[in-house]
Amino acid sequence: MLTEYGTKHAVHVITNHFGDLVAKVCECLLRKGPLTRQNVKRYTELSDEQVKNALLVLIQQNCVQAFTTEQPDGFADGPKANTQYVVLFDNILHRVRFAKFLTILSQEFDQQCVELVQGLLEHGRLTLKQMFDRAKSSEKEGNLVDLDSLRETLVKLVTAHYVERCPASEPLLMPISEEEGPARKKGSKSAKKIGEPETIEQQVVEAALPMEAMRFSVVTNVESDVGEKEKNSNNVTPGEKRKHDVLELDECGVADEQSVVYRANFEGFIRRLRHKGCIDHVRAHLDDGAANVLSAMLQATSSAEKKVKTKNSVPLSLSSIYEEVIKSEAGRNMTLDHVRASLVQLGELSFVDASSDSYSIDFEKIIEIAQNEEVESVVSKRYGRDAYRIFRLLSKSGRLLETDKISDTTFVEKKDAPKILYKLWKDGYLLMEKLVVTGARQSQFLLWKVNRQILWKHVLDEMFHAALNLSLRVSYELDREKELLNLPADKRTGPLQDRYNRIRKVRILLESSQMKLDDAILLFHDF
Amino acid sequence: MSKRKRPESNAPSDSLTDHERLIYDVIRSKQDMGIWTRDMKRELRVNLPDNIVTKSIKSLQNKSLIKEVVNIHSKGKKHLMAVEFEPSKEISGGAWYSEGSLDTEFIKVVKSQCLKQIIKLKVATLEGISDSIKRSGAFKVDLTKQQIEEIVRALVLDNQIMEVKSNGSGEFTNIPVGKVCYKNVSKGGGGGEPKTGSLASIPCGVCPQINICTPDGVISPKTCVYYTTWLDF
Repeated sequence: MLTEYGTKHAVHVITNHFGDLVAKVCECLLRKGPLTRQNVKRYTELSDEQVKNALLVLIQQNCVQAFTTEQPDGFADGPKANTQYVVLFDNILHRVRFAKFLTILSQEFDQQCVELVQGLLEHGRLTLKQMFDRAKSSEKEGNLVDLDSLRETLVKLVTAHYVERCPASEPLLMPISEEEGPARKKGSKSAKKIGEPETIEQQVVEAALPMEAMRFSVVTNVESDVGEKEKNSNNVTPGEKRKHDVLELDECGVADEQSVVYRANFEGFIRRLRHKGCIDHVRAHLDDGAANVLSAMLQATSSAEKKVKTKNSVPLSLSSIYEEVIKSEAGRNMTLDHVRASLVQLGELSFVDASSDSYSIDFEKIIEIAQNEEVESVVSKRYGRDAYRIFRLLSKSGRLLETDKISDTTFVEKKDAPKILYKLWKDGYLLMEKLVVTGARQSQFLLWKVNRQILWKHVLDEMFHAALNLSLRVSYELDREKELLNLPADKRTGPLQDRYNRIRKVRILLESSQMKLDDAILLFHDF
Repeated sequence: MSKRKRPESNAPSDSLTDHERLIYDVIRSKQDMGIWTRDMKRELRVNLPDNIVTKSIKSLQNKSLIKEVVNIHSKGKKHLMAVEFEPSKEISGGAWYSEGSLDTEFIKVVKSQCLKQIIKLKVATLEGISDSIKRSGAFKVDLTKQQIEEIVRALVLDNQIMEVKSNGSGEFTNIPVGKVCYKNVSKGGGGGEPKTGSLASIPCGVCPQINICTPDGVISPKTCVYYTTWLDF
């Protein structure tokens, strides 16, 4: 279930990028869930043409996925397939992160790679030919683009899983039977936790995905038959069955280089951002040495990760870790003892699990601590230091505690503790239960608890609310100074220059705050 | 520190009137819990007029047989106790309370001492902290193990120290494996202050009105005074 401000924030992003019409269709799908085109038209009261165009834009930009389901038909001609459209909420959120994705790329690849992905992010999805045409149109003298080098660039990015083949346009979503349910959930890579039911969005995304080998392969030959294609294609395991609805097949059943469509693989970037977030967190808690060690462990094991929300990294021995550490410039000065000491420090904080001389990163623990700190920071700043201690006590305890017990343990005045607890409860940070004890006299006790699941959802909604507010305020401020911003520099004198300086600082502060807040949204929603 | 004195076996009662005797007996029977005046009136076997009760209470106080104490659960109410008793923890709030309020100065001093010893020892068990404080002579009266434990727990909640388990080697040599120890938090904004999070760094994160703020409402990002202050360059 999407929260109210999650929806509002997503609609605002789509409005900013594609206008009101597309946003109206998007909002309809967000609020009503998957719908057929007819139903979208009915709820939005837009024309057929408008709905169709809006959906095409959203699909092109990977914000909506079409799918079909079999509707059992009462008539003799058997079940009917009907096409519905589901919003990909996560992909809408990713739209404000494109700059972060490109920064990651620029640290690992050359400018041609960055530009290729920039094109994919801008246009949503492109064929190799379209990428080539785009590169040609912005070609600079002395820096000519040729198809072979572009193809090489594409292969590099696909091999690194930053680019993927587009999914099936209308996969068939099979209903999950009762017996299949738990098994399917367990194996599913998109289910957040084992036992948590998959949303329709997750099911559709999974149904649409090509098989791993196909998803990250580049078609390199034109007009060759399927057999030859298997020999020549990169990363295809011989004998592996293909889903026939994955490839863009021409009449001869041949995958045509010109028609295969690619897009940025958001999962690859999010995984990288998750790693980066963990390294930054370790650096803030410990030191550069520990951060280097964690970074090396990630470098050595990231290719083995099957999904973004991996719980633990593959175990590594001390010697393997050391070998990886000294590969980097930052790690070259570290001795084996130093690496061992860092691993001990990481183990003390439970960031790394050590058993039988092998070490494995506990991603969940690092992320859990980072999330706790984020929420505790809000409690401290919004409600004060006493509230901070109270919140930490309840959060660590994980169970119901009585008011007096709380005030004793946290050294908060007995008369103040109830007021603080009530405020936290009223704002959705705590759960409260009443306990009535009947004896000689009837006494009422109030018990308090932090429920992480409920609270985390509430905090995430507050983050979406704050993200929306920041965006609205930026637009408001820039709109107010529109004329000033359009003025040529030499006309900006005296107080106009002061106002200009102010609006520059305002823009920098608000936009950097948006990026920082988005890091927190990643922490709570994507990591 | 609360200490309970044993009541003397021969209480001076010769000079008490019948009314005073009645009231004194009820109060004394409550020992270190004491009793609220109104509850006491209800417990008297006879129904005494208010002025008699008030006069008797005053007389008993003048004869140093009863005293008024603060009950932290109901500070405004008159709470009476026989002089030979010290208020129990439920009434006084315990070792950290003085006259009905938290003794914040004392707590601050004990916290500071505990933190000082933990930093000095680098890794410390509760016993280690207790011994270290005793040896330092910082306090005239010895703190109990329970008091130290309560303060150390509060320091953990303040994020000034962290709780770890000994692994028996390195800095934990001489500490049994699995024993709970405490270390100073190495980083974390400096001085126990939590590092300001992303949400807390912007006005919305600390805003008490966030639940009633809407994009186009009376309280909105465009009209927000906190934003205006924040962007006042």
